[in-house]
Amino acid sequence: MSLNYIVAMLLITLGLYCLLLKRNLIKMVIGLGVITDGIHLFLISMGYREGGIAAIVPGGMLQDNVAAGFASAAVDPIPQALVLTSIVINICIVALALSLTIWVYRHYGTLDPSEIRRLRE
Amino acid sequence: MMAGMTTIVRTISRLLFPFMFLFGVYVLIHGHLTPGGGFQGGVIIAAAFVMLWLAYGLEQSPIGFELFRTEILEAIGGLTLATVGLVGFAMGVGKFFGHVLPLGTLGNLLSGGDLPLLNIGVGIEVATSLVLVFYAMLRKVAWDEK
Amino acid sequence: MIEIPPIVAIVLPLFGAFLTPIIAIVSRRFDVERKVCGWFMVAIMIAMLLVVVSMGARVWGGEIIIYKLGGWDPPWGINLAIDGLAFQMALMIAGLGTLVAIYSLAYMKRDSRFDLYCTLILLITAGMMGIVLTGDLFNFYVFLEITCISSYALVAFRRNSDAVEAGIKYMIIGSLGTSILLLSITMLYGSIGSLNIADLGQKLAMAKAGAEPVPMILVVALALFVTGIMIKVAMVPFHAWLADALTAAPTAISALLAGPVAVIGIYWVARIPYLPFGMPVGVILVALGIISMVVGVLMALVQTDFKRMLAYHVISQKGYMVLGIGLGTTLGLQGGLFHLLNHSTYKCMLFMCAGAVLHRTGSQKFDELGGLSKNMPITSSVFLIGALAISGIPPLNGFASKYTIYLAGVDAGQPIITAIAVLVSALTLASFLKAFSSVFLGQRPERFKDVKEAPMQMLFPMCVMAAICIVIGLLPALGFNIAGPAQTAAMNPGNYISQVLGGT
Repeated sequence: MSLNYIVAMLLITLGLYCLLLKRNLIKMVIGLGVITDGIHLFLISMGYREGGIAAIVPGGMLQDNVAAGFASAAVDPIPQALVLTSIVINICIVALALSLTIWVYRHYGTLDPSEIRRLRE
Repeated sequence: MMAGMTTIVRTISRLLFPFMFLFGVYVLIHGHLTPGGGFQGGVIIAAAFVMLWLAYGLEQSPIGFELFRTEILEAIGGLTLATVGLVGFAMGVGKFFGHVLPLGTLGNLLSGGDLPLLNIGVGIEVATSLVLVFYAMLRKVAWDEK
Repeated sequence: MIEIPPIVAIVLPLFGAFLTPIIAIVSRRFDVERKVCGWFMVAIMIAMLLVVVSMGARVWGGEIIIYKLGGWDPPWGINLAIDGLAFQMALMIAGLGTLVAIYSLAYMKRDSRFDLYCTLILLITAGMMGIVLTGDLFNFYVFLEITCISSYALVAFRRNSDAVEAGIKYMIIGSLGTSILLLSITMLYGSIGSLNIADLGQKLAMAKAGAEPVPMILVVALALFVTGIMIKVAMVPFHAWLADALTAAPTAISALLAGPVAVIGIYWVARIPYLPFGMPVGVILVALGIISMVVGVLMALVQTDFKRMLAYHVISQKGYMVLGIGLGTTLGLQGGLFHLLNHSTYKCMLFMCAGAVLHRTGSQKFDELGGLSKNMPITSSVFLIGALAISGIPPLNGFASKYTIYLAGVDAGQPIITAIAVLVSALTLASFLKAFSSVFLGQRPERFKDVKEAPMQMLFPMCVMAAICIVIGLLPALGFNIAGPAQTAAMNPGNYISQVLGGT
């Protein structure tokens, strides 16, 4: 399963590259999204168990019969809950970032971060 | 102001909208049984509305947007969430988010205590919030084009 | 006293934030929107302050208040755990938040969409209370994001070109910081298997005792965690966002960012060396603290903008706190925490003075201001008290906490630290004397002839804070009564772990 982790690290690196080196605000916001996606992939892969089943209790299953087997065969559901929460937070951040970008464009007429320097003067 | 899309896209969007809405409500309500739940269902419902606006343009879409109604709905969604938590507290169960409704049998729709109510609250909140975000962005862009 | 569970302190502002849009729509019909929303916000903050104060007696008796959400026991459930350290932070956030809320009633008079402002202030307060009261690591991350997103929106509230530029820069750097924190929490969960702070502390201690050397993934997780927190606390070299954000934000928000939001970062900096990590990061903290102190004050000396100068002083003073905490001794930790208490008070006050001047004259540049002490006597005397306090002049409160840090430097066997700290204090005094004479003494430009004193709602919080500065300065034992239990609680992770995991 180390392929998951390699891809996650690759995503984080690519996102960092976008965030730090691109000269366009929207590309920087996309880079931020890619970083978060890499972290989510990393988190979900951590919950994986070899040969596991999905962590959903099927309907009509009697409690005491198969509960023990289920708990050791299912993949870990906690990282999935954590990733869901994090995806929601990420949506808020991207929405706010894009709104601020629209305002920056209206005031400055450009999306190049090196030209948005009125505060430094 | 906001140009819509071609006739094919408009027709298909108008036909698809009720199914998307229904699917979103289905994902929402079965949140405690199958993958999904409040947030996912809410996003699908919001996507249904936004699809209509993108296909038709904000003014000519068959389902219009009223700021007042949407803002009230969003506040109600958030309040439902907080109230369900507090009700568990006040009605003698003694803990925040303690279950008030009975835990039914496994696999039934009406089971899982407070969870379906929480899902509905979250779903309304998320759907209206995303719709508001899209409306704010569309209106800002349209303002710029004037 | 009725036992109010601490969850109410978080739920109250959250509830208020959801109620505010409805109240705004209803009161818009009767045209009293601004007053009703404003006083509703202040009422909720005062109620929250009372809830926090009511927890005081129990916490100072040595008991850690534990509240389990939903009745689930830790470590499977999420719990709130309030020890002495958390209580000091909660008290500061609640108290300063209330004062800033009263201040904003007058400061935001000319802004439209005041209901949005009230909602965001209540949300950011709920987020901050959640951060200091929680005992679960992922819960901390969620509340941190709530706080940060609300602060991004508040910094860009006025939507003029400065505010939006500062907002987007703050947002990108801040989001990077919280993503790094998330990665660190992920690695911790993957290697240890628990998210509860007490449980993590226990298992990390066992992991360290069992295996020599410390496993690589834990070191990486700790490094990422420290980096993320340092970005949030704006230590050099991650300080770039703070100056822009505090300059461009509405001054009430600058006061909020410089006071309570800084509290959160320092709360976690104080927790890192003891719980849940327990690994020695003192050297890094001391180094970063010293660099930030010096760089902050040097950059503040050359500023020509009132709020920008105050922002660089914030960086410098936070360097003091990180230095004190990094020294690792009892005196150092007490000094750092006491300095946090004092700094939040007088920094909020200084920003409020700058805001009062900006509100009445419309300018925040030193070149354009001057001679305002005749027009605004109360504001200028409050600013003088703040300037003396931040430079560490007796008998004000800054002296007591800085003296503790000087003693801690000598006590830990590093007198060079004390020498640098005293030098920075002297430079701080120089910078503030220049500021005071530029703004309040000297020649008054013609157009400011009729400038009046700041309105009552702005003066009231400023005078309350000035009174606190003087009182704590004359009776430093009061401050040590608050910082002392905080320090003992922070240095005592075993007590925390046993009470959370073992108790009812």
